[in-house]
Amino acid sequence: MRDEIFRVFSFYFFLGKKSGRARTFFLLSSAAVLMALIIRTYRLAGHWTEDGQVIYQNFLMVFFLQFLIVLLGLFYGSSIVVEELDNRTLPYLTSRPVRRMAIIIGKYLSYLSLTTIMLIFAILLSYLILNLDPEFRLKDLVTVLRYSSILWLGLAAYLAFFSFLGTWLKKPILVGLAFGFGWESVIQYFPGTTQKLSVAHYLKSLLPQYASSTGKLGFLFIRLEPTRPLTAVLILAGIIVVFLSLACLIFTYKEYLFED
Amino acid sequence: MTAVIETRNLSRWYGNVLGISEITLDIEPGITALLGPNGAGKSTFMKIITGQLKPNIGQVRIFGQPVWNNRYIFRRLGFCPEADAFYEELNGLEFLTGLLSLYGFDRQECLARASRALELVEMQDVRERPIRSYSRGMRQRIKIAQTVAHDPEVLILDEPLSGLDPLGKRRIIRLIKEFRDAGKTVVVSSHVLPEVEALTSEIILIHHGKILARGDIHFIRELLDSHPHMIRIKSPQYRELARMLAAEDYVLNITFEPEAQAVVFETHHRDHFFNRLNELVLDRSLDLEEITSPDDNLQAVFDYLVER
Repeated sequence: MRDEIFRVFSFYFFLGKKSGRARTFFLLSSAAVLMALIIRTYRLAGHWTEDGQVIYQNFLMVFFLQFLIVLLGLFYGSSIVVEELDNRTLPYLTSRPVRRMAIIIGKYLSYLSLTTIMLIFAILLSYLILNLDPEFRLKDLVTVLRYSSILWLGLAAYLAFFSFLGTWLKKPILVGLAFGFGWESVIQYFPGTTQKLSVAHYLKSLLPQYASSTGKLGFLFIRLEPTRPLTAVLILAGIIVVFLSLACLIFTYKEYLFED
Repeated sequence: MTAVIETRNLSRWYGNVLGISEITLDIEPGITALLGPNGAGKSTFMKIITGQLKPNIGQVRIFGQPVWNNRYIFRRLGFCPEADAFYEELNGLEFLTGLLSLYGFDRQECLARASRALELVEMQDVRERPIRSYSRGMRQRIKIAQTVAHDPEVLILDEPLSGLDPLGKRRIIRLIKEFRDAGKTVVVSSHVLPEVEALTSEIILIHHGKILARGDIHFIRELLDSHPHMIRIKSPQYRELARMLAAEDYVLNITFEPEAQAVVFETHHRDHFFNRLNELVLDRSLDLEEITSPDDNLQAVFDYLVER
């Protein structure tokens, strides 16, 4: 099984690198770097006096957390089967000696790898642009690695959830958009346990500074009732396992028809 | 000979639309052609026997095993889908090596097999060009290359000749015949009768999801006892021949072709006709230069069966 997953992974990683979609999303991810450059220039000109860390937390992290990882997860995850149907290439895959489960896991891992490269590139570079100065310390590096890990976990969870939608629904994009940018955003402002029905809640719970609701964009986090970090990590891991398993199960038993 | 592909009461619907209905077939090594108009159910049948679709009723087995999700069968199967669909970002070589890697071959093996397949379809010189720049004929050939690259025992080719120029068609027909000669089982679908004729005489006529007839063209002819057969005889004594046969009740119509010194008979009892013709040739010492059946092709059979 591992060998089959690796075969699918290798093929789709190679294919993914060559795709126009990868270039588009790489450019989109680079928007964070551009933002960081603009802010840094603005700060150097003396118009923005806040610390680079604070700006990063309150501005770029919002971009990563509430926009980029959702978008990457949505467009890569939901396309896991739909792109094969739209391009009519599914028979090339499903007539090969690989288990259907291996196809889903292999594609998931290849897309996770591609999007991770995009995400980590944007996180690290934008962080360094905003914070690299003579006072830069090792603990700053630890901070950015922590951010990267949390965002990566979020990306993996969104990708798994949208992969599930992609194997289940014929047109997963609309439902995915509604979930990613509707439900996930709105539900944050509901008090009590309702907000726990979102991926973003657990990601924010892993970023303790957000609980204090300070900073320019702190209003985004005013209602957060954080879950304990360990529980949050376990729930995120659970989301990945459950939705990826469901995607595998659906893809194994469902047959897919082309439009005509 | 043992059947490689066995289907039993295979039926499939798409909602209220019938795809195929109660198809029971045994397909043996060699070339078998599925012939029918668009929408007849050929592609549905092929998708089911390659495990792309599940039948609503019935079962399909290849080498005695069920096909759906059976990766052991997929290793022995090559499928050329009808759709003109590719991973357009790739070039021909990458496309083949990528798909071959899914069989677990190492990099060197993938390259070697891809090169052999490209050679077979005569595309070595364009192997590094992106697929999106290929002509329709090249795309069809690279699709066939991916079908045969892993050296399968069973080839399922859905409309493999569509979009090819006459030269390309000849190449692919030759290739398919080579597979037959190598003992492989090849199932080909087509809605173009001359293509099928050029490939094989073992045909399955399919229409509205049902098998209309199966066998070689002569066997199917025998099924058509009421279908008039055309027999064209070229002879210097063609008028005398026509006069002698005109009285027979199984001769339905006679047409003269004076320029060619030929006469065309229409009969629904071919055997009676030829028996009588033999007698006449022996008794009257008639000189016959050529006997042909102008409608003894699949088009005539198919048209007749569909109309019936």
